[in-house]
Order: sequence, then C-alpha cells, then structure tokens
Amino acid sequence: MNGFLHYMLSAIDPSSVIGMFRTLPELLTSAYIPFWLIFVFPVARFFLPDVACWIAYQLKPSLIRPPLPPARRRAEPLVSVVIAGRNESASIGAAIRSTLLCGYGNLEIVFADDGSDDDSVAVARRVAESLTHCSRRPSDKVRIFTSQRRNGKASALNVGIRMARGEFIVILDADSEIQYGAIQHWLVPFADPRVGAVAANLRVRNARASLVTRFQECEYALQVTMTRLAESLVGLLTIVPGAGGMFRADIIRRLGGFDPGLGDDTDMTLKLRKQGRRVGFSVDAVVWTDVPVTWKRLVSQRTRWERNMVKIRISKHRDLFLLGRYGLANAIITVDLLIVRILLPWVSAIGIAVVIWHGPLSAPQVLTAFYWGYLTWLSIKWLIARDIARTPQPGHFWLLPAFPFYKLGLRAVTMAAVFRELLRIGVRHPYVPAHIWSENPQW
Amino acid sequence: MVEPPDYVVAEEGEPAEPSASARRLRLLIQIAAAGGTMTPTANPNAKSGYDYRALDAAPDLKFLAGRDYLDERFFDRVTICPRCSSHHLNLREVCPGCGSAHLTDEVLLHHFRCGYAGRTSEFVAAAGAEGGLACPKCGRPLNYVGTEYDRLGKAFVCLDCGTCFEDPPVEAVCLACATRSPAADLLSVDIFAYALSSLGMAAIARGRLLEESTESLFIADQRIYRPTVIVELLEQEARRLKHFRIAFSVLLVEPESQGESAEAETMPQLLAPFRDRLRDIDLIGQLAPSIFVIVLPQMAQREAELLRRQLLAGAGRPPPLAITAIEIATPQDLQQVLAYRRRQAGAP
Repeated sequence: MNGFLHYMLSAIDPSSVIGMFRTLPELLTSAYIPFWLIFVFPVARFFLPDVACWIAYQLKPSLIRPPLPPARRRAEPLVSVVIAGRNESASIGAAIRSTLLCGYGNLEIVFADDGSDDDSVAVARRVAESLTHCSRRPSDKVRIFTSQRRNGKASALNVGIRMARGEFIVILDADSEIQYGAIQHWLVPFADPRVGAVAANLRVRNARASLVTRFQECEYALQVTMTRLAESLVGLLTIVPGAGGMFRADIIRRLGGFDPGLGDDTDMTLKLRKQGRRVGFSVDAVVWTDVPVTWKRLVSQRTRWERNMVKIRISKHRDLFLLGRYGLANAIITVDLLIVRILLPWVSAIGIAVVIWHGPLSAPQVLTAFYWGYLTWLSIKWLIARDIARTPQPGHFWLLPAFPFYKLGLRAVTMAAVFRELLRIGVRHPYVPAHIWSENPQW
Repeated sequence: MVEPPDYVVAEEGEPAEPSASARRLRLLIQIAAAGGTMTPTANPNAKSGYDYRALDAAPDLKFLAGRDYLDERFFDRVTICPRCSSHHLNLREVCPGCGSAHLTDEVLLHHFRCGYAGRTSEFVAAAGAEGGLACPKCGRPLNYVGTEYDRLGKAFVCLDCGTCFEDPPVEAVCLACATRSPAADLLSVDIFAYALSSLGMAAIARGRLLEESTESLFIADQRIYRPTVIVELLEQEARRLKHFRIAFSVLLVEPESQGESAEAETMPQLLAPFRDRLRDIDLIGQLAPSIFVIVLPQMAQREAELLRRQLLAGAGRPPPLAITAIEIATPQDLQQVLAYRRRQAGAP
C-alpha cells in the first residue's frame, strides 16, 4: 500500500512540482518538440478555450449567456417542435408535456411516429388532449402523423418538417424534455440573420440512474457543453445535436430535410455550414435528455457515434478539406477532426504503451504526472462549467478522480469503432431499416 | 267543479294574452284532442329544427313535463350554435393554420434514397414534361413503389396557406349569426315527444292545473305521492341508508295483467285499503303509470314479506295485484328498482 501511494504521489511531490514550474519558461523558449507535442499543444487546444470562455464570462457575461431582449420588443415567431420516435410510449408523454408547458406561447408540436408497435400514438394523443382541452382549436397545438411502416428516424423527421408550419423548427428527441423558458433563449442567436441553426445545451435527465449516467453527466458538462460553447464563439461548431436543435425552417426545407441513414444531425450541420450559415449554441436553451444507463448500451452508443463521425465527416463531406471551396473555418474543423479524433488517440495510446513497455515503475512520474495533470485540469474545468452553465451537480465531484479511467475506457471503444469503420467492418446498423439501407449510398 | 279559464279581459273587450296556467291548460287540451301525444315535426324555419305543430310551446311543454302533467320521451338530438342557438350550421374541415376550408387531400410520398417526404404533386412537378414521378430533392426518377419509394399515407393540404396536416379540425359556421365554432364547442339539445299523463288528464277534467301544495305532491285526490316526489323520497331514504346503514324495504305493486290501462287507472282505489295495514311512516307513491311503490322505512326483508302476504290476502281472490317485496340494503338495490321503473315506463 505504501508503495502504491508513493508511486501515485511521487509526481505531486512539492519539490517535483516546483522544479517543473521552474523549468517551464526554459522549455517554452526551447525547441524541444516532445514538450510542445505533449504539453503545449494539448493545453492550447483543450484547456485554453475553457479558460478563455471563463475570462470572457467574467468580463462580458452577455457574450456567453446573451440576455433576453425586453419583453415588449421580443417577437414570438411560430416555433414548430418536431419529435420523431418509434416505440416511445414511455417517454413521449413527458416530451410533449414539457414542450407545451415550456412557457412559450406560439408553438406547435408535430409528432411523427415511425411505425411504432406500442401505444406511442395513443399516449401522445392522450397527453395532447389533456393539456390542450381549453384551447379554442385543440388540434392546432399538437399534430400527430403516423406511419404504418418503419422508415427510420430521418424519414420520420422529414415528415414532421413537411407538416411543420413554424418559422423555426426544433428537432427534439422523444426521450428529451425542454426546460421552461428555453425556447426564448434558443431564439436569441437567430437575431443574426447568418445563423442557420442553434444547438441546445444538453443536460442529463437520468443522471442519478446509475454510475454510468453519473459519469456521463460530468462528461456532458465538462466536455460537451464547454466544447460547444467555445466552438460556437469562434464559429467552429460542427454539430447541432439530434436531441435538441433549432433550425430556420426555410433553410432546412431548402436542403430537403435530413438524409436517411446514420449521423443525420452531423450531416445536417455540415450541410448548413456548406451553405455558409453560422451554427450557434445557447447555454440557456436547456434540453434534458436520457443517456444510456448500462455500460453495454453506452459502448453501443459511442461506437455508433464514432462510426457516424467517420462516415459523415471524413467520407461523405470530405470536400470540406478543400480550402478554397467552403472557406478556412470548414477546412480547420476537418483538419482538427483528423488530428484530435483520429491521430491523437493513437499517438497517446502508443505513448502509454511505450511507457508501460519500458516499465511503469522505472519512471513513475511519467504516468502519474499525466494523471495528476489531467485531474487538475478537470477540476478547473469543473469550476468553470459550474460557474457558466451551473452543471454538473456538486454531488458528483467525488467522481473526478475516476473520470480519467472512464475516458480511457471510452477512448478504447471509440478507437476500435474508428478502426472498424475505416476498414468497413460491419457497416450495417439496425437503426436503419433494410429497405432504406439498400437504397442509400454507403459513404 | 270546473273553473273557467282565468283569461284577463282587456278594456276594449278583446281577449288579452291568457295567463301562464291558462295557456298551459289549453296546451294540455290541445294534446288531448290530438290523441294524447305531441310529437315534434321537422321544420327548417324553427330555431332548433323541430317544432310542435307550429306552436311555440317548447317552454310550456318542458314546464308541464317537469310537473308530471306530461310524460317526456326522447325523440332526437340537435346540434346548435353556442351563440345564437340556431341549428343552421355549416360543418366542414378547416386548416389548423389559417382556418380556411379550402383544403384538398393528397397522398404523401417518401423517397428511400434521399429521405425526402412530400406531396405527390411535388413529385409530379419535379418530373416535369417527362411525366411520372421524380424526387424534388435529388432529382432521381421514381419507378418502383416499395423499393424506391413508398406511400406514407394521406394528408390534407391547405390550398390557401400550404400547411400540411393529417387530422383537420372540424369547424362550424353558423349561417344565422356567422359565428365560427370548433366542433367541440357546439351545443347539443335533446328534442322530446310528450304524452299526456294521468295527472294531465285529471287537470283537464278539473279545468285547471293543480296549484295547491298538496295537489303538487299527490296524484289526483289520493295520498299517493307523484313520481318525481316519491323518487326524491326514495333517494332520501337511500342517503339515510348510506349514512346510518339503516336498511329499508319497498313493495312494488303492479296490476296482475300488465298493459291493462283500465286496471292501472283503478290502482289508486285498490291501494286505498292498504293504509289500514301500514304504519304512519310508510309512504305510497306512483313510480310509473302502472307501478306503485310502498316505502317501508327501517323494515327488513322478513317483515316486508310478511306484510306482502297480508296485503295480498286482503286484496281479494284472485288478487288483482302483484306485489314484490324488496329489501334495500345498498344504494345499488335502489338503482335496480329505479332502472326497472325506467324500463317499464319506456324511458331512454
């Protein structure tokens, strides 16, 4: 035990830390490439954006969390909330209820059922009738379209978009809920006519369901929310999530809606970017969503996400690499993707393997220094996320020491997924019905 | 003694409007002259679509039925405007967006390859002069239903604002006052046919409506409670049963041969001798034209059965009456009795 403690704590021995800080100026002015690769670049890419956001938040809070315009000047355009789902009887009621009661008057809900076998449609109708019975026209707030055949989520969304009549369209997952007041904040970035879509701030609804969901709550707050905030500020946001995103209706219709297949949200965002549209993010447009409760489901979800990333961003939209075609920002996001999502995991994995190969006990500071450095960085991120986005919940702070191992496990999963997708192993996914899959181009 | 109708004579010598009770009595006489029933007839010019032989008598008929001079029977149900009560309504499906009735229904198509979902007319337009169907999103021709594209179902399209929807709301426009109302807000009124009751016939014979309090409680000259009164008293007993758990019994008395109206008319006379065998607290009432009830508070089934036998024995041989003893131990027992009464009275 004493040996293990000595091993873990050797990297944070005060003399070592003081020595490290003393050598920092010298290393920064040197051309020592390994130092730049393993310290300066990661800090600049992953840490500085959060710190910059926080400093901006202290100096000008309205930049990070824009206030609502005064009520008398606030327009209330018609917002259509499109929900597509299959066999969602357990959650569709809450989704409709939260939307109808979110404090925004001028909205409609279009529920496109994708050939459910359960009583999703009956539940949706019942909830809608119970909440709109006082309305002069009960059916104009919630409209339901049923399909006899399962055609996949993208097709159901397209039906919903076709039925929607709002100036703005919210795409909401059936297992998600809109927070009270979110739609007013969601509309704020659309004051800029160049903005084509705004991503919601996803928060975990079932955070206390299991250890897996608790980890995911930390992950959504520290990485998803903060990363999307930073990326949106510099115009590099590449995803408007399928669980909660708002689009200008005319643009999404002009694009013909979603393409069938996997990764429809990334695909739509990239199509918007190619049109020269900006993609925004609103910290206060909170959408609560359910995350996988078991490790097995989490692995399955992340595998699907990672494979979709390769399929959509590297294969289908590979023309974004071309510098002159879609601008510098779109080239940057693709190069960044290659480095951060494809190259870096392999480099770090090889680095760890080399250290272990040469004996982890011979140079204890290497691995443990990374651990303590990562933990320090996570703690600072935690404080920043709590200050800006009021998440994650304080009770989950005790998970942080274990968080690096959670990420390490997921990294192994995503690397395997990328590897399999690049080699086109097992590309068929049951999410897409067979008759749609056979007709789709396979990217 | 038949009293003359209380017309008020105007100074000029012309008869003025009769008083309400005289008007109602005249209505009873008219019903009797017409065979004892007043059936509504369809009349597009009447506000509710029905009238009673062109008489504006609906409020009086309601009044008389409420006091048992007439028996009320369901005839039809009419939907009317919530604002002006007119039945002249134009019902149609409207656009949930703009409220226009200018709608058409179209089949929605779904292209598997690019996921586009739209109206058939969009696919026809995209095909252009070549004919057939082509996808408006990706331009590919659609040849094979089921493998390249599918029909998602029917949808309504508003030809004024372009909104597409599956279940159009139904709206009514009142042709009398132009009020637009969702179908759910429309009012429904029941139209009834009316038949003269024994009380109504007694009022005609007497030449006046029964105005005294005792007259409004009891049927013609007997201490037999009228149907509405005895039902109220039975329900009061049921409430007492619910609160204090004190059971009571009833005796249902009917003529031996059902449908003999002559016997039904003599029933009050047949019931009169029963009073000697009943307690002061026991009540006799008419449930339906040929069903009478004796309410026996705080009496169990055994004593009620004993009393039934005594009453039958005293009624002569063979007894002209059939008597059934029923103990009311739960509110459901009473509901069964009242349901039997409704069936015998032919109510809906």
